[in-house]
Amino acid sequence: MRSQENKIFANIDWALLGIYLVLVLLGISNIYSSVYNPEKPGLFDLSTEHGKQIMWLGVALFLGIIVFFLESNFIRKYAYWFYGFTMLLLIGVLFTTPIHGAKSWFGFGGVGIQPSEFAKVGVALALARFIDQNSSSKERTKMGKNAGIASLWGIIPFISKNKSTALILGIPCALVLLQPDAGTFIVFTSFLLVLYREGYAGNILLFLVIAVIIAVVTLLVADSNFMLPFTKMQLSGKTGIIITLIVLTGAFAFAVRSFVMRRNRKGIYRSLFGSFIVAVLFVNFVELGYTNILQSHQKERIDLLLGKIDDPDGKGYNINRAKAAIGSGGFIGKGYKSATLANASQRHVPMQSTDFIFCTWSEERGFLGSFLLVGLYTFLLLKMVVIAERQRSVFTRVYAYCVASIFFYHFMINVGMAIGLAPVIGIPLPFFSYGGSSMMSFSVLIFILLKLDSERKIVLQ
Amino acid sequence: MRNIDNRKYIIALIFVLIPLTFVVRLFYMQVVDDKWKDRAATISENKILTYPARGIVYDRNGEKIISNEVYYDIHVIPRQAKNTDSVAFIKLLGISMEEYSKKMAKAWAYSSKKPSEIVRQIPPNEFAQIAPELYKYPGFFEVARTLRVYPKKIAAHVLGYMNEASPNDIEKDPYYKPGDYIGRTGIERMYEKQLRGQRGVKYYLQDAIGMATGEYENGDYDTLAKQGKNITLSIDWELQEYGERLMQNKLGSIVAIEPSSGEILAMVSAPSYDPNLLVGRHLGANYGKLQEDTLLPLQNRSINSAYMPGSIFKTVMALIGMQEGVITANSSFPCNKALLGCHNHPTAQGVSDGVKMSCNPYFVQLTRRIVQQGKDPSIFKDAAIGLDIWAEYVRSFGIGVDLKTDFPTNVRGNVPDTDYYNERLNFRWAFSTIQSIAIGQGEVLITPMEMANLAAIIANRGYFYYPHFVKSIDGADIPDIYLSPNQTMVDSQYFEPVIDGMWRVVHESGGTARRARMDSIAVCGKTGTVENFKKISGKVYQLTDHSNFMAFAPRENPQIAISVFIENTGFGGTWSAPVASLMIEKYINRTIKDTVKENRILNANLIPDINDIIRE
Repeated sequence: MRSQENKIFANIDWALLGIYLVLVLLGISNIYSSVYNPEKPGLFDLSTEHGKQIMWLGVALFLGIIVFFLESNFIRKYAYWFYGFTMLLLIGVLFTTPIHGAKSWFGFGGVGIQPSEFAKVGVALALARFIDQNSSSKERTKMGKNAGIASLWGIIPFISKNKSTALILGIPCALVLLQPDAGTFIVFTSFLLVLYREGYAGNILLFLVIAVIIAVVTLLVADSNFMLPFTKMQLSGKTGIIITLIVLTGAFAFAVRSFVMRRNRKGIYRSLFGSFIVAVLFVNFVELGYTNILQSHQKERIDLLLGKIDDPDGKGYNINRAKAAIGSGGFIGKGYKSATLANASQRHVPMQSTDFIFCTWSEERGFLGSFLLVGLYTFLLLKMVVIAERQRSVFTRVYAYCVASIFFYHFMINVGMAIGLAPVIGIPLPFFSYGGSSMMSFSVLIFILLKLDSERKIVLQ
Repeated sequence: MRNIDNRKYIIALIFVLIPLTFVVRLFYMQVVDDKWKDRAATISENKILTYPARGIVYDRNGEKIISNEVYYDIHVIPRQAKNTDSVAFIKLLGISMEEYSKKMAKAWAYSSKKPSEIVRQIPPNEFAQIAPELYKYPGFFEVARTLRVYPKKIAAHVLGYMNEASPNDIEKDPYYKPGDYIGRTGIERMYEKQLRGQRGVKYYLQDAIGMATGEYENGDYDTLAKQGKNITLSIDWELQEYGERLMQNKLGSIVAIEPSSGEILAMVSAPSYDPNLLVGRHLGANYGKLQEDTLLPLQNRSINSAYMPGSIFKTVMALIGMQEGVITANSSFPCNKALLGCHNHPTAQGVSDGVKMSCNPYFVQLTRRIVQQGKDPSIFKDAAIGLDIWAEYVRSFGIGVDLKTDFPTNVRGNVPDTDYYNERLNFRWAFSTIQSIAIGQGEVLITPMEMANLAAIIANRGYFYYPHFVKSIDGADIPDIYLSPNQTMVDSQYFEPVIDGMWRVVHESGGTARRARMDSIAVCGKTGTVENFKKISGKVYQLTDHSNFMAFAPRENPQIAISVFIENTGFGGTWSAPVASLMIEKYINRTIKDTVKENRILNANLIPDINDIIRE
């Protein structure tokens, strides 16, 4: 035990560290290419974005070393403290002057710090600690077993039963929405994956899939009209959806009547009816939310994604330029520093060094490069799942899933948005997008994971 | 427990499925679908066309007769010009606010990032005042464009004009782009391909606001503009200018050819116009005005009009008669006025006399022998056989056939043959029906160009080169068709009596063209007087005859053959002959000795009032 304690790097997962370094270096080389300015060719020039990014990497590595010198127990013990600290930062940031309409930044003499990036670390630690402490595996197993069709829509009972969990997630969600920062809010919803893995709300994923389908259908047809077949009745799209839901419910009920034993039917009927009510309420919620809660630019982004509007040089400018940059990369790409669209001097793709950094990579490296990048991320995510599953410590496992979920969401939304599969939501691609806060927070997430994982054998004893 | 642990597989599955979806999507976008590549090209690439200077045109003595001048269009890239002080700017450009707003709105509608034209063709002197101020108006810039300049305001019909390529031109030849200029008439049209050169193109990368940021693919796809070819014409610019001066206040034409080469020395059509009128911004308005002019200044009378040849045609009859053996040089015919009216003159004792006296009955009887050779007992069938022989002869003189002149025209004279009359007279015709063709009236038509060519044939004693304008193209040789002579069907030995007659027309008392006589040069000529019928509001009137003259000089080793045609001036010797002689003197001697003759012509206003020339 002692010998292992002394060797900080003894049980480091070199593969994870390796892929981290590969991503970081590719990311910096990509920023260098994307903002390359022949007048400032110096790699370490601090007036350039790549120079700053290297500086931030230095800071991140320094933080990583600090993390390595901490003990797992220390991290576990002070998880709530760190959570509390980041929540205070999130409150504090609300008293700053807005930049681009959002109060998301603390400015320190030209350097901007985004507390919401660090909040992800805080929430991950707090959630891991809470689940580790409070929820015995038996209880969760029971919940899992009950998670049949009968508790399909059990999200409300779930929240009421797990007020503390809801609070840990709800506070930062509310705070980032106040900034407002929809992107980080959506990233916080990634913890639902963790909850799923830990046995909460068994069918939450099925629930999400059905909810997404209903939401998309609602957004597509709710504001249109159609003629009821064989009649002259003019009906709204929403009525159509509700009619469809009634028909589907009826069909299910018929199926239940045909295939389920009589004594089991009653409960299923009840849950089916409950589901129907929830679905109808959800349809109304989506419609109301779309028309009354979303801001006009958010509505536009959704409409663009669903193909309801097509305006390549106006509202759809960003996404059109991004897709053109990626699509024009071809199989092998245009070559390093040879992007003609996603390049700082061409300025065709807006925010090409931050939110749309994937465009530069894809345009210059082509499909081969895109495939490599997606492959590296997939490897990273699966590696994290493997690491999580080999832990004996619940804390470390939950934490590992938190990290995996955060990376997964960032990857899915950032790349999905650039290739037109997700709405435009401004969140960074880890290690590729330019930005100090995200470089530090993602690095710290990884380093903490590396540290916790390296002590997995100690915990075992 | 097992139940929950299985969820790791679900999560791993999600972590694989989403990236897999991305890979499929990326493969489709980057490799399969070309849509985004095209889109990227329209966004990030642009090209500028570089226009070559159009070829310069010189006359036979190396004088520049068409050159280029640089004009400036002002273009705008709308989104770079958002903060324009429009009040000051329109003052600088000298346009109205209304026009400016209209043009800007159009530019915005076309593209916010691509340039649109705001003002067109600012002359260099005006641009000199605009240029130093232009930098104050970002988004606006000048585009240089060369336009034609005609240093002397002459030969508009020969040189032709240019205007913007029509959708039809663009469809026919994809070289042209909207806004390009294309030669529309004359030499500009005939040698368009040589003169225009080859446009160059330069591809470049542009940024989001359309500013160039670098060259595309290291300029591998760029091409340099190729300067148009310079052309030397056979026109004698001094002679052309003199001819136009002589033809001031007259309607008609002059065509002068060098017999030994077929080179056209001058081609005048009166009235003419200043070729600079049909250049640049005011082309449309000026063209409209010229088009409305009742004297038809846009009509090129020297090549695009066919008239009855009148008496000059008699020379051809005499030549055919001798070649066919139906007469000899000494054949005499009585001046039988019962056949056709004539003036009083002694009996013509041979071809030379006949030509000199221009005796109508002489040539009617002569031509009857050609047409009615007695090869068939039926006079109708006989005339049909004979007329076709006759027509073949006439055509060998370049009348009514394609003279292959390098000038855009398809107007030709008319040589009536058997088919022609059968159709119109329903087979019931013999020579007596159509005898007026013998004296160049009736159905025979000739263009002034053909007439000058006829003079050249006689000067050459039996052959001609296709009349042409081109002398050399960028130093290279001209097409072969202009280098080999075309023989007529009449042998050279028969020409001397006709030439003798033509010499006497000018030099002997009783000749019809005494006004063409000069001491220094032996001119051979033949006058013509052409009856002129015109339909005015449904009624046919006979108007004052056209005056007509063809000549060549000197008699031996002729240097110039010429035709002069002046409308509504009566007898050919009165006006056309002196004009021809002045032209000949100018060309051969370069100066005019007989200033009285010259002044008489220069001061004459022969443009008729339509009411005065109707002969009752």
